Amino acid sequence: MINRRRMWAVMRKDWRELARNKQAVTPLVIVPLLFVVALPLAVILLGDNAALTSSVGGLQAFLDHLPRGLIPGDLSERQAVVYAVLIYFMAPLFLIIPVMIASITASSSFVGEKERRTIEGLLYTPLTDRELVLAKILVSVVPSVLLVWTSFAIYTAIVDLIAAPRLGGVFFPTWTWVVIVVVLAPLVGFLATCLIVAVSGRSSTMQDAQGAALLVVLPVIGMVVSQATGLLLFDITVALTASAAVLVVDVGVYLAVVGRFRRERIVTRL
Amino acid sequence: MSAGPASTPLSGVPTVLASHLSKSFGTREAVSDLSFSVSAGRAFGLLGPNGAGKTTTVRMLTGLITPTGGDVTLFGERLTHQNADALRARIGVQTDTNLYETLTVRDNLSTWGELYGLTRKAVARRTDEVLEVLALTDRIDSLVGELSKGMRQKLSVGRAVLHEPELLFLDEPTAGLDPEAAEDLIDYLAQMIRSMRTTVIICTHQLHGLEHLCTDVGILQAGRLVVAGDVAQLLRRQWPRHRYTLTVGGDRERAAQVVARVVGDVEDSGHNAHVDFSVDDHAQVSALVEQLVAERIPVRSVVPQEPTLHDLYFATIDEQERP
Repeated sequence: MINRRRMWAVMRKDWRELARNKQAVTPLVIVPLLFVVALPLAVILLGDNAALTSSVGGLQAFLDHLPRGLIPGDLSERQAVVYAVLIYFMAPLFLIIPVMIASITASSSFVGEKERRTIEGLLYTPLTDRELVLAKILVSVVPSVLLVWTSFAIYTAIVDLIAAPRLGGVFFPTWTWVVIVVVLAPLVGFLATCLIVAVSGRSSTMQDAQGAALLVVLPVIGMVVSQATGLLLFDITVALTASAAVLVVDVGVYLAVVGRFRRERIVTRL
Repeated sequence: MSAGPASTPLSGVPTVLASHLSKSFGTREAVSDLSFSVSAGRAFGLLGPNGAGKTTTVRMLTGLITPTGGDVTLFGERLTHQNADALRARIGVQTDTNLYETLTVRDNLSTWGELYGLTRKAVARRTDEVLEVLALTDRIDSLVGELSKGMRQKLSVGRAVLHEPELLFLDEPTAGLDPEAAEDLIDYLAQMIRSMRTTVIICTHQLHGLEHLCTDVGILQAGRLVVAGDVAQLLRRQWPRHRYTLTVGGDRERAAQVVARVVGDVEDSGHNAHVDFSVDDHAQVSALVEQLVAERIPVRSVVPQEPTLHDLYFATIDEQERP
């Protein structure tokens, strides 16, 4: 039986600590803003400008591999590039945001407690292993989901207010995007956080956890890159299938993390 | 409190019962065959030099680490992985672990109160009470990182007692405190023990001030409990005779001869006006004073020199280290 009040106490404490840590919070806000404001604005305003396509990694390869059938036929060449980038190229970047946020907040909240020698105090409380692990995961997942959704709202506003008039009407968001942002991104964030928490139990510094976490989240980044390079394009079927698969992995990894959580390992490695 | 092979006392269930506890880390044996019990309303001093196994013992008693051998029973219930969390709700622990430095004093305490299931109202009430006792009321909205070392030490004790635990573990609770703060804290703990029958286990090697609090003691040396029991009984066992210091105004040598004649046991005090002696019965002191007065030797004072926990600790450690 999970005691939500105890979990909430841990989560609120961690968020208060995070809010006072400007070094951690700044990239959490700036990087998503770059993704959802600067990049789409550049694409909308510059279109298929060679300077843009060569400066954004993978963008040229993505355009070269993009099947023409995915683009509405009535768009000009320049409009087609803008449409393709906004609808397909940008989508996987919304999966990077929760992974990035998780690598900062999860490593800070768990290994950070070990580094600051505060974790043992928590282990002496009535918190169960399940409550502690789930609280530490949610501490990262909740802000990452909120940031993804906020970013999505900003992105939608930019696309609908600036791009839509240039492309002949409102075309965003698509159902694929809704599934990616509402379902898949939180699940990817949960997975990344679970893996970082799992690694954190064995790491003694935040750098260790983040380094190990980067290796662990490589498959997620691989998925993102394959989309960006046009090897695997998200349509609604791919998005739903990926969501189902990540959900299954999430449950398995979460149960494994809780099952392998040992207070003894933590206190004897402080 | 009882030591040796653990057994439940005849009256009531002990709060803590450790039975043949052992813990090894690889080939290193941190704690070996530890057995003792502590009853409700008693203060048990777990003493020992650094590395003796005190922290490992506390971690086993609270279910943080699993013993290699033996059992722990808390409140009459055998401690297992399944019930450890529920039992910990009845325990408060203050160790050298850090507080949350970027949070305020209030936030640190309210987080702990919520973790132990206190209502918001109870958290506010207990926060006020604890901070008043610890003289930290005016720092309630200060960040912990801004507090002095002594204030943080007091706050870490306050965090452990916030939910009024039935069993309280303290690790060097007076370390870093000024004498007045240490005395206030000890008085508060004594009051908790008296009024709520809180069971307290204090790990320390700094005995000053805690001697009067501890009713029972266990001395750990290299992972083994070399002495355990009621403090008064252990002192009596170690020093069966009552020791006194006599101060005279006149001839010390003559006074020493009278002492030797009346009580038969004189020690060299190394002081030219003092005579140290021991008696089996306090009544012998009256007879001695009468004899000294009769022989016109001015008696300035006769002061009992009761051995302390401090003396017992060092006597025990010395005995253990002797080849």
